[in-house]
Amino acid sequence: MTGMLLHALTIALAVTGALFFLAGTLGLLRLPDFYSRVHAATKCDTVGAGAILLALAIHVAPHPEALKILVLLLLVLLSSPTSGHALARAAHHTGLEPWRRPGERAR
Amino acid sequence: MSQAFDLVMLALLIAMALAVARSKDLLAAAIIFSGYSLVMCLLWQHRGAPDVAMTEAAIGAGVTTILVLLAIGRTRRREK
Amino acid sequence: MKKPLVAVTLAAAAVPMLIGVAALPRPGDPTAPAHTHVAAHYIEAGARETGADNRVTAVLLNYRAFDTFGEVLVIFAALAAVIAVRSPATPGGRADDMPGPGPGLPISPVVAFIIRLTAPFIALFGAFVIFRGHVSPGGGFQGGVILGALLVLLSLVLGRGAERPLLAVPLARWLQAAAPLAFTGVGLLGLALTGALLGYPAEPERHALRELMMITLDVGIGIGGAMIILGLFLEMRGD
Repeated sequence: MTGMLLHALTIALAVTGALFFLAGTLGLLRLPDFYSRVHAATKCDTVGAGAILLALAIHVAPHPEALKILVLLLLVLLSSPTSGHALARAAHHTGLEPWRRPGERAR
Repeated sequence: MSQAFDLVMLALLIAMALAVARSKDLLAAAIIFSGYSLVMCLLWQHRGAPDVAMTEAAIGAGVTTILVLLAIGRTRRREK
Repeated sequence: MKKPLVAVTLAAAAVPMLIGVAALPRPGDPTAPAHTHVAAHYIEAGARETGADNRVTAVLLNYRAFDTFGEVLVIFAALAAVIAVRSPATPGGRADDMPGPGPGLPISPVVAFIIRLTAPFIALFGAFVIFRGHVSPGGGFQGGVILGALLVLLSLVLGRGAERPLLAVPLARWLQAAAPLAFTGVGLLGLALTGALLGYPAEPERHALRELMMITLDVGIGIGGAMIILGLFLEMRGD
């Protein structure tokens, strides 16, 4: 019974992760400017990779390998937002203006 | 399944190699080349060569990209 | 005129290559020549003869140690060439069409914090990969690149020129030559012990010494590789 539940949880997490990756990729392709694309790519990839890694950790659970996967998850949680921040900061200091709707005034 | 993975990766490699060769923007070419190395790394790991995969990930995707970016930074971004 | 010529040349090069690739044995075919001659011996006797459980290391540091020596020299020569070409007088200017903020922008506190937080773990992992290289995937090259990437990250945190007081230039030059020096030392030791350059004492009687020699090589490659990557980075950044 618990085995079934764990399996269901694994599948649900993996599917969620894949959906987030899909959303991130769509955002990367469709959003209008650099800032929004960085936001889509790094946020969705963090959650997507996180969910998939969590699913893998549950899948191999009592095995010590699960710990390694959790450490990997921690690394993704640290590195991906940091790189997103660094990219956006560099763009901001270069003087790249964020996209606005046509007709909207810069504040 | 395993064969399909290899084929998808190889197709990606060819597409990326063409993109690198055709791109006039050297910055974009450097970034695509980094992606090429990552795919290559996955392939090495998948074919059972973890030593080579580690080297490819660290040198190909990491160090080479930094050095190429520095070299572009000291010259010109666009090919004439 | 030009395009047909290009097409003909490409076809002339591609057709023999494709025929050659098609004639290769299937991957993993046990009767292929690659698996029946020397490789079979390495796989069958590698661990027993060399004392290195990782067959890749057995080949790199034992059977093909001369080739690795040459590789290490090539990497060292690359750094020497960069240093020779970029004289100190060259201004560290940047391309006009390169995007990004000017060099005056200090590093983001978030990035600096994350680098400081993860640095000890990266260092530990690099050392682990170097020291475990003879029994598990990894080795001097891989661990050295991990350490080198860490040094590059740390030099980003410290800012331009800040690593100078940490490491005197002559010492840095010696460390950059660590890999060829380790190979020379171990090679001469082998010459004294067995009468052959880079020869190893017999396995399994002198297992500890043999393992020590391999670890020396791995550590030399690791430290040398890390320092060479940092050196290339600093030289090319232009400070």
